[in-house]
Amino acid sequence: MQGIPTSLRRLLLASLACVLGAASLTYVVDPLQLFRASRLVAAFYSDDTRVQNAGLIRSQTFDTAFMGTSLAIHFRQSDIDRALGVHSLKLAMTGSNSRQQSFVLEQAIARGAKRVIWAMDDFIFIDAAGIEADPYLSVDLYRRTAKGIASYLFSAAMAKESLFALLRSVPPLQEPLTRAAPYLPLKFALPDVDDIYALPRDFDVASGYNARRTLAAFTYITAPTRSRFLGEDYGYDVMVRHFERDAVGLIARYPDVTFDIYFPPYSILQFVAMRDASPATLKTVTDLTARIAERLSQLPNVRLHDFRAIKAVTHDLDNYSDVIHHSPVVDAKVLAWLASGEYRVDPSKPTAALDELKMQVEAYRVER
Amino acid sequence: MLFNSYPFILLFLPIVLAGYFWLGRRSNLTPVIWLALASLAFYAIGNWQFLPLLLISIAFNFGIGHLLIVAELKPLQRKAALAFGVIGDLVVLGIFKYAGFVTENINALAGTHHAVHILLPVGISFYTFTQIAFLVDAHRGQVAAYALPHYALFVTYFPHLIAGPILHHKDMIPQFEREKAKHPDPHLILCGTIIFAIGLFKKTCIADGIQPLVALAFEARSPSFDQAWLGALAYTFQLYFDFSGYSDMAIGISLMFGIFLPVNFNSPYKATSIVEFWRRWHMTLSQFLRDYLYIPLGGNRRGRVLRYVNLLVTMLLGGLWHGAAWTFVVWGALHGVYLCVNHAFNALVPAMPPMFSRPARVLGCVLTFLAVVIAWVFFRADSVAWALRVLHAMADPSIIVFGREEIAALVLVLIYAALVWLAPNTQAIMGYDHAGRRVGENLRAGRMRPLFLYGASLVLAFGILGIQSHSEFIYFRF
Repeated sequence: MQGIPTSLRRLLLASLACVLGAASLTYVVDPLQLFRASRLVAAFYSDDTRVQNAGLIRSQTFDTAFMGTSLAIHFRQSDIDRALGVHSLKLAMTGSNSRQQSFVLEQAIARGAKRVIWAMDDFIFIDAAGIEADPYLSVDLYRRTAKGIASYLFSAAMAKESLFALLRSVPPLQEPLTRAAPYLPLKFALPDVDDIYALPRDFDVASGYNARRTLAAFTYITAPTRSRFLGEDYGYDVMVRHFERDAVGLIARYPDVTFDIYFPPYSILQFVAMRDASPATLKTVTDLTARIAERLSQLPNVRLHDFRAIKAVTHDLDNYSDVIHHSPVVDAKVLAWLASGEYRVDPSKPTAALDELKMQVEAYRVER
Repeated sequence: MLFNSYPFILLFLPIVLAGYFWLGRRSNLTPVIWLALASLAFYAIGNWQFLPLLLISIAFNFGIGHLLIVAELKPLQRKAALAFGVIGDLVVLGIFKYAGFVTENINALAGTHHAVHILLPVGISFYTFTQIAFLVDAHRGQVAAYALPHYALFVTYFPHLIAGPILHHKDMIPQFEREKAKHPDPHLILCGTIIFAIGLFKKTCIADGIQPLVALAFEARSPSFDQAWLGALAYTFQLYFDFSGYSDMAIGISLMFGIFLPVNFNSPYKATSIVEFWRRWHMTLSQFLRDYLYIPLGGNRRGRVLRYVNLLVTMLLGGLWHGAAWTFVVWGALHGVYLCVNHAFNALVPAMPPMFSRPARVLGCVLTFLAVVIAWVFFRADSVAWALRVLHAMADPSIIVFGREEIAALVLVLIYAALVWLAPNTQAIMGYDHAGRRVGENLRAGRMRPLFLYGASLVLAFGILGIQSHSEFIYFRF
């Protein structure tokens, strides 16, 4: 071995070479498809939608963007396309807030979305970190700033994904590695863009969504020790402010884009839980959604749909896995309702569905 | 400031190193002052609001130490000075760390609704314990008079300040006084860089990736049997790689300055008993608790029963040191009980015949590991009830999911387990001998292949590539 100072120099130079080599590999393979659609290796996708969306917006062709939280996570793009006759891009992010949703939608609109389908939950408007300082969503990656590109290229995780993608493109390894990928600690493991955060096609819906689970969730969230969480971070004024900034602001900035916005069909137990354990939260939610309905009804490029009072769905607890998350059967119905406009809010009576919901909540008695 | 951050690696560390050795050519004292100031700057970046507290703590303890070492006090006065110093330290620690916890419990018992919101100063547990040991040793007459810059550096020395290892003045201050340490030693810088690289790799490429697996058990409302086990095991490995990664980095950085820090980990999950586990896990804390708590309580000198009581008390307080919550109390109590059982077993069961010694060691390792995993569940959970829920799931094999996510998690857990049990630890790889002040003798003698160097450069490269913008060390919270 050389002298110690030479060894030290060699160590540091070799490290630098490794770092640059890893960055070059990621640039060439581009697992996120941030620079170009995959050609060198087969395209694979990740369930980590906050990161994956940055690449999807760049690499996919679409005319419609679909946004929501975990309630809209299991929709398949192909179903949306079929039901609505569009070329969609699903961008729903589990646990996302209005700032994140609005930011990602704006990126999609800038890349060509002419229509937005937005599953609007009331809880997305709670207070959240500013988008520039959001630790969970890298705005630099979406904007492709130097910092964002550096964080993508100089990343051990991405180098690992790139190396695996490269191995997966070698013909003899292609099939076994593609089959094994979902079971390995890899982010980019899904071969079809349609599978991003969608339930497997053979998923046992009856065991995942049933009244037993829904009632158990209801009991859990209404237990005296936990009921305070029902209204956590719910503040009417803050939520209205966020709605105005993130939703109305975005819609007003893009008058040529059509926004199909809907209130998702939670189970009735979501509101009954608030009624019984946190009435103040119920009032905040109903006041807020009344305000949203009134405001959105006035905007010419918005079609508002309210699915919260469709008793056949919301009172059938077999449709849910907890008090809010509905099954793929309901997903299909949501798409059909959006296509037909059956539950579109009449701008002259923006709170009619909400008034109906209020009566249902008042009348509902929980059968355990 | 984090060790695993670009500003630290690319800016802070090179500047401080260059300044230290540049000043070292001129005098023996200015590099010490430079390093102490750099350490304060390191602390102030991100924790500036707690800097006055750190400075007051140093001044207070140095003053009390001065009384005990230099002033000619009568025995009773010395005792009073020590009591004043230790109580002062503990009161400050108590206010910042335990006031909220005590208030919470009073509220629960009395039905009151008092609220105490005090931020926990980063590193307070470490610099308080370090200084208590100094005061106790000063009272015992085991401390020579130290100059303020050396003492201040001993407390604030940035490689250890925030999360240890817990330093001992007798080990550190003489090193700070050595003139040789102020001149760059390429061998120590090379070895320090490699040890730092191993630690950085452990943190950024292993520990940071485990969090989603931990969530399987600790963020799920009702985890299944496999999720609970995978989550608990994942946390067991996360804590290991996170903390031992930090300790490696601390040793590596310090070595670049020519200073040897004590080893804090010695492959603890390879322990074949709980007694051995505590000789291998967070070794400097174990030594502190033994020397300054267990032995002053009477240790094993006052009969078997009192020995067990002392063990329990020591571990309970060790648990509370880690955090002001009942989960940490339960964790400490569990380890106290484990240690009592271990000592009772050793006392009551005759030595194993040689032919059974190997299987017995394997069994001991498995049992020790399981006991440690169960205790970590309390350490990690947000509440005792939550920990019991996870443990309940771990004991109920009737609900098993074992889907895609769980299989991927199992693959990772197996990789971590292989690293923990089959790979040599950092000090073995580098031949780090803290007591003998030797490291990397094989490297120095040219007995290591160039391949080792390139392997190390790969580890360093991936350690740097693994850096994420939000990745604190678990022990920062203690």
